[in-house]
Amino acid sequence: MLIVENLTKVFPGGTVALKNVSFQVEDGEFLAVIGLSGSGKSTLLRCINRLIDPTEGRVIWHDQDITAAQGQELRHIRRQIGMIFQQFNLVKRSTVLTNVLAGRLGYAHPIWSLFHIFPKEDYERAYANLERVGIPEKAHVRADQLSGGQQQRVAIARALMQEPKLMLADEPVASLDPVLAHSILRYLETLNKEDGITVICSLHFLDLVHRYATRVIGLKDGELVFDGHPSELTPEKFKEVYGEEAEMVTVSGEMNRYESR
Amino acid sequence: MHHIPDASTPSKQPPSWLSALLSLILPGAGQGYLGFYARGAGILVTILGLTVLILWRGNAALWAAVLGIWVWNVWDAWQMARGRRPRMAIPALLAILVIYSLAFITTEVQPRRMVTGWSSMAPYVRALFRPELFEYPTEDRVGSAPILVPCVEPLPEPSRKPTEHPRLILDKPCASVGDPLTIRGEGFFPNFQGELWWVSPIGDVQRVIVDHQPATFMTDDQGRFEITIIVPLAVPISEQPPPGQTQTHQIRAEQHKPYGNPQPTQTLRLIWEKIGETIALAFLATVLGAVLALPFSFLAARNLMYHNRVTRGVYYLVRTALNIVRSIETLMWAIIFAVWVGLGPFGGMLALMIHTIAALGKLYSEAIESIDPGPIEALRATGANELQVIVYAVVPQILPAFASFTLYRWDINVRMSTVIGLISDAGIGFLVIQWIRLNRFSAMATAILAIMFVVTALDYASSLIRKRLIEGVPPRPDRSPWVTWGIRGVVIGLLTVIFFWSWHVAEVDFTELVTGMPAGMRMAKAFAVPDLFDRPTEAHAIRQPLPVPCSVMTPPPPPSSGPRVVLEPACGQVGDPLTITGYDLPPHTQVSIRWEMPDGSFLRVKSNCCTTDDQGMVQVHTRISPLMEITPESPPGHVGYVGIHWEEIVGGPRLSKTVKTVADLALVTLLMALLATTFSSAIAMPLSFFAARNVMGESLPGRIIYNLFRLGFNLTRSVEPMILVLIMAAWVGAGPFAGVLALIFNNIPNLGKLFSETIEDIDPGPVEAIVATGANKLQTLVYAVIPQLVPPFLAFILYQWDINIRMSTVIGFVGGGGIGQQFRLWVGLNQYDKAGAAVWAIVIMVWSMDYLSARAREKLV
Ligand SMILES: Nc1ncnc2c1ncn2[C@@H]1O[C@H](COP(=O)(O)OP(=O)(O)O)[C@@H](O)[C@H]1O
Ligand SMILES: [Mg+2]
Repeated sequence: MLIVENLTKVFPGGTVALKNVSFQVEDGEFLAVIGLSGSGKSTLLRCINRLIDPTEGRVIWHDQDITAAQGQELRHIRRQIGMIFQQFNLVKRSTVLTNVLAGRLGYAHPIWSLFHIFPKEDYERAYANLERVGIPEKAHVRADQLSGGQQQRVAIARALMQEPKLMLADEPVASLDPVLAHSILRYLETLNKEDGITVICSLHFLDLVHRYATRVIGLKDGELVFDGHPSELTPEKFKEVYGEEAEMVTVSGEMNRYESR
Repeated sequence: MHHIPDASTPSKQPPSWLSALLSLILPGAGQGYLGFYARGAGILVTILGLTVLILWRGNAALWAAVLGIWVWNVWDAWQMARGRRPRMAIPALLAILVIYSLAFITTEVQPRRMVTGWSSMAPYVRALFRPELFEYPTEDRVGSAPILVPCVEPLPEPSRKPTEHPRLILDKPCASVGDPLTIRGEGFFPNFQGELWWVSPIGDVQRVIVDHQPATFMTDDQGRFEITIIVPLAVPISEQPPPGQTQTHQIRAEQHKPYGNPQPTQTLRLIWEKIGETIALAFLATVLGAVLALPFSFLAARNLMYHNRVTRGVYYLVRTALNIVRSIETLMWAIIFAVWVGLGPFGGMLALMIHTIAALGKLYSEAIESIDPGPIEALRATGANELQVIVYAVVPQILPAFASFTLYRWDINVRMSTVIGLISDAGIGFLVIQWIRLNRFSAMATAILAIMFVVTALDYASSLIRKRLIEGVPPRPDRSPWVTWGIRGVVIGLLTVIFFWSWHVAEVDFTELVTGMPAGMRMAKAFAVPDLFDRPTEAHAIRQPLPVPCSVMTPPPPPSSGPRVVLEPACGQVGDPLTITGYDLPPHTQVSIRWEMPDGSFLRVKSNCCTTDDQGMVQVHTRISPLMEITPESPPGHVGYVGIHWEEIVGGPRLSKTVKTVADLALVTLLMALLATTFSSAIAMPLSFFAARNVMGESLPGRIIYNLFRLGFNLTRSVEPMILVLIMAAWVGAGPFAGVLALIFNNIPNLGKLFSETIEDIDPGPVEAIVATGANKLQTLVYAVIPQLVPPFLAFILYQWDINIRMSTVIGFVGGGGIGQQFRLWVGLNQYDKAGAAVWAIVIMVWSMDYLSARAREKLV
């Protein structure tokens, strides 16, 4: 179980990105985080694996206080939490294999890994994970030779190398077109359903939330303004999260067009 | 534990010892036999190349490394035959070891000298902190009195008069070196300090030294003082007056009392003037160069000129010409133009201009080549005519690129213009080198500081303009067109004024190009036919004794056939007419006819003499030289001779000695660039992290360090290696090592700046992603940061390598060793054919290195 308690983040410039946010996530949930751009979604996700240090509040995971962890302990927590990003964040000039192996760094030997030397099982694991995301033939290709969807799959494979129990996904499909968006989210769904990995995923499109999430939280100006089942996300609630002028936009209109071809 | 897929293992496995044996006999043969031709050839070429290098510049210990590669090659062939593929790390390291060892030997790198030479370097460094900027105007009181050294009887009147007010009274009228001398002064500024000087008979002035300190005095309330000194040795021993004679020296006491407000020093005023000249030259060269580059750039644009055979020919011609001109450094052009139009600003401007034309011509043509045909097509489709297409579709596409290239060239020209004065009397560099020669360290330091600040400021200004060019000027619809045009008018007017002022300062006089034509043509001709070949010669000599007077001996008669000297008369008195005839010499050959004196030395009978005729005869009428006379002092048993000397060609043409010298120096130059690039990269890399904003963070100490490094880089970057080498030569002695040091000191800030900008541009995403996997700091560095930095760093290092090759060709002009030193020497001796060989070597070297690094750069992307 992940417990987020009174999380507040004030950036050095004075921007309050999160205000007193509290919620809990049970193991095995698929939690969607929604909110306008700038509402604090990325900040929230990054506070969970401490890429950002929160100003106040605590994050507790499986009885470990992530907010208090330092050094080795923090790295050991991090290696159990996979993360994927909107911009994929691959090292473009390294090969796919190297990128995937990098997911193993938290486990690897601190010296040998500096010379790109990994145990044999890690290589096998890397090939297996590439197989799993459907691009085993790309192992020796440079990452910048791949399309966006393929890159995101490499990123998922990298996260899978960590054998994570929790997966953070920061707008994983925002840079992809709708067909690819579904395929990536289906991978996350499989991980969630088959491997029992808890997923916390920020999303923009409401129909994707309805389709994949088991629970939704909504952020507005850094405050938690919604927490419930996707079906509870009525147009009124939606307006509360996205502001009065907002229109419901879905990706499905385009989806249908793609599928009807 | 990378799994390298087994590539193309030959189907039928030959026995592994066979390929090993083959490689033992001929390196690489075994690998070739197995079908790995590239690998085999690589090994063979490496071993051959290293062998040639070691034989050339040899150090026997290096053979061990070659042997090591050889052994490795045998092992490699054996392993490859068994289907393995060993890594190349060991032979690569050995090869690098050999090359760098040779580089160290050849460029005379001796770090020890940096320590031993520090004392001579120290005044330069100290001076940098004590520039001559401002001084108070002074009111001076100077009193002097004559003194005779040494004392003689009777004492003559001194040849100089004492001053009346203020007045110096000496306790004696004459003294010898080393005597004490008491001086009383009257009528000086009261309660004020002054200095004592000693003036020698020829007017040399030196400070009087008391107790190893320059002597000063302090006056009392009445403006009086008294001081005892020791008479110094003001005239060298060799020029002391003969015994019984004496010379008038002079003692001078000076007080300089400041008043009023500080004024710029004379030094500063000179610098100000020369900085103006520097900027004027750069400006004029950039403007004229840009304008003249335009036509060439169109002729050198592939997309415009590739249509038919004639234009393609023109394209290649212009391209080649631009490349040749460009690969000869500006300073080398300065030397060439100094011969052509003489020393001075005009020649310097021409040098800057011609290099600008070539460099901009190439850049412009590349901009033309890269224009997008889309808009042109689109405009044609609207029915626009050719001119309209050019105005609306071509010009807007090339203008920004042209402008930014021109600006970039202006930055370079400003820097170059600061060093052109090292060659001719133009720009600030002239002051620097003058003051270094005069040991006026603080004046030199002032000039260098001025260069730093002016170049940095101009750089900053042009970076602002560049930013505007790239981002475009935001439209100001609220501004009335009058204001807009008014501002444009002012800018254009200002530029015009600067242009005419520059024209005036640069002393432009195109007639000099014509009047200097003969000298220029002579040089051009020699350059076109460089001294590449010569033929081996053999020296011959015949002689005939000439007894002066006749009583010394009876000369034997000359042989009746074969080459011989016949003297008419056969002996005589000093001053008698003499006819010297040489017979049966090789026809049409230059000979030298000499008096060979009894003591063995010789002198030409006539200078620029003579050439034999068709029959191989040569004749000279002269008079018997007094040198030939046998006197009682001459060594006994000797007699003078008349000799004829000539050289005969034996054998065919061969590479001349010049070629060997040039090849040798080209190698030195190359290795200088190699060492400089290597060391400066290695030093700049760690430093660059301190100048990267994202590394140093936003904390106060971080920001301070960041700004200090940035400023340090910018200021030191602006001092050209050509100026640095003057100082380095004082430090470690003139030679290649000084050149390498100068390049290093200039490269570190240049590379540091480029590196730190790369670090700032790094994509933070992958770093975040790797941290999120639980990687530690080092792992993050290795997996997320370094992969992003390696390709751009290598690209910048290659770029610096290109620059260093060019720089090292000229750094020898002012004591940096390499080919430039010899080039300048040859030009100075009017040996243009030799200088021409050096120029061609430089062109070839610069070209081939440019080509190689361009290929390497392509691989990086
Ligand atoms: N590193 C940072 N420094 C300062 N302010 C930041 C930083 N990162 C995000 N912010 C600010 O915090 C707020 C929340 O940003 P973010 O979490 O990225 O929102 P979202 O991901 O929902 O678009 C925004 O106002 C943003 O400008
Ligand atoms: Mg975000």
